[in-house]
Amino acid sequence: MDPVLAEIYSTVLGAAPFVIAAYALIFLVLCGYVVFITTKLKRTEKKLAALEEHVDALK
Amino acid sequence: MANEEKAKEPAIGGIIDRVAPWALALGALLATLGFVLNFTIAPLVNGAAVNEPALIGGAMVQNKLLLSQKIFYWHMPVAIASFAALVFTAYYGIRFLMTKRACYDTRARIATEIALVFVLCTMVSGEMWERFEWGVWWTWEPRLTTYFILMLMIFGYFILRNAVEDTERRAVYASVFGILIFIDVPICFLVTRLIPSGVHPVIFRTDSGLSPEMLLPLMLGMAGFALIAFGLYRLRLRAQVMEEKLARIQDKLED
Amino acid sequence: MAVAMKKPSTWAHYVALLKKDLSQELHTKDMLTSMGLYALLVLVVYGAALAQAGSELDILQMAGGLLWAVILFTSLLGLNRSFSHEKEQGCLEGILLVPMDRSVIFLAKATANLIFLLVVTAVTVPLFFFLFLGQVGAAPTWPLMIAPLLAGTVGIAGVGTMLSTITMNTRGKDVMLAVLFIPLLFPLLWACVSATTCVMCAPEGFMDTFVTSMALSAGYDIVMILISWVLYDFVVSA
Repeated sequence: MDPVLAEIYSTVLGAAPFVIAAYALIFLVLCGYVVFITTKLKRTEKKLAALEEHVDALK
Repeated sequence: MANEEKAKEPAIGGIIDRVAPWALALGALLATLGFVLNFTIAPLVNGAAVNEPALIGGAMVQNKLLLSQKIFYWHMPVAIASFAALVFTAYYGIRFLMTKRACYDTRARIATEIALVFVLCTMVSGEMWERFEWGVWWTWEPRLTTYFILMLMIFGYFILRNAVEDTERRAVYASVFGILIFIDVPICFLVTRLIPSGVHPVIFRTDSGLSPEMLLPLMLGMAGFALIAFGLYRLRLRAQVMEEKLARIQDKLED
Repeated sequence: MAVAMKKPSTWAHYVALLKKDLSQELHTKDMLTSMGLYALLVLVVYGAALAQAGSELDILQMAGGLLWAVILFTSLLGLNRSFSHEKEQGCLEGILLVPMDRSVIFLAKATANLIFLLVVTAVTVPLFFFLFLGQVGAAPTWPLMIAPLLAGTVGIAGVGTMLSTITMNTRGKDVMLAVLFIPLLFPLLWACVSATTCVMCAPEGFMDTFVTSMALSAGYDIVMILISWVLYDFVVSA
């Protein structure tokens, strides 16, 4: 490869893992939050089921 | 009286909540579009000069081309989204102190949660850029320091919430601290920026504006992440309100 | 027959509350002894921590930072205690029964904390110079460090009083105060350390940095104390 071109693009290959990691990490953090919301919802669902049982028992 | 209060309670499941999932989807779409465009149409930015210019695609290039700057296209939108969420924390804190209604406290709390999520996003993406460009994992640079302190304050906010038993009291303390955070962050940025530490001289890159091809993906990212933040906020709020309603019904049943 | 009842002014409230704190302190000497001892012990710890650094270490460069670390930790100790006896003896409930502007409580308490902190600082700073700067000696401009010391202690007392009122009613209040206090105070600390280091080392063109740092710490003090003052009513009534 042309040495000048090699110099111009010298940092690109080195930076690539960091760029990919940055985007992946943002995506992961957001996904993590969605998982957190989902677990919260699941817990609420469980509580709701327990409440339904409780109401049935009262009848 | 009580009925009137109830009637004024901001509705959950209304038009805003019907829009929220679509906002989330549209936000994801826009952010992805911005992501694709920043790797396709936006040019690489110039770094240090090279010895000899070369012709690439019909244009003379005299500098090293930097890929690391691509991180910026998502980094800045999430940073702005995090601060926007913080604005809402302070806003709902003030609303709570004015009205003493629990619904505003819930909103302030969820807004802070969103702020935390986006602060984390900003930190991790910034960390990657910094590691490559400056070659260190940590330095006390103004933006870094400010975000680190902001993160600690948001942690403090949630630790404070967990440490107070009484609901009303917790809400007041959290609102006040939320407002204090909002005031403190700009001061922190100003202070660390105007008084740089003497130990690590940091060279600020003077990026002279963004070309339209670079601005488009950035704008798409900003709109996208604003919508994502809004969508996540409503989703989380809806789940939280449901949980609180459930708790109230349980209490009523036990009486 | 009308009895002439003069409603005490806000100033009278302020003086009465401040006098109460000061006379209590003069009586027990609780805060001053504990804070002073703590500051001394932190300095002893510094002695051990810096013992291996030898003579190559430029202690002057670090002196400002080390000094502020003592002041910060000592103030944390004092602030934690400032409301504990009020709460234990139910004193605060009594004060809250008085029909008056509650922000006055904030101003009185903050002034009391400021006075204690200033007394302890006045002892700590000469001691620090004696123990660590005996050989090198600070630059001739060092008396200017009074300015950052004042601005810093005012900010610490103001923000600290607000936060210690909040943490008074929380679980694990000692840690809680530190968790809220240190990040919130970070900008002030940064500015004060910068100003103090400037006047102690007096490098080329230090006056610019000194003035910027002082302006920023004064700005921080004004903004944060105003906000705390406005919000204090909500906190203390909750």
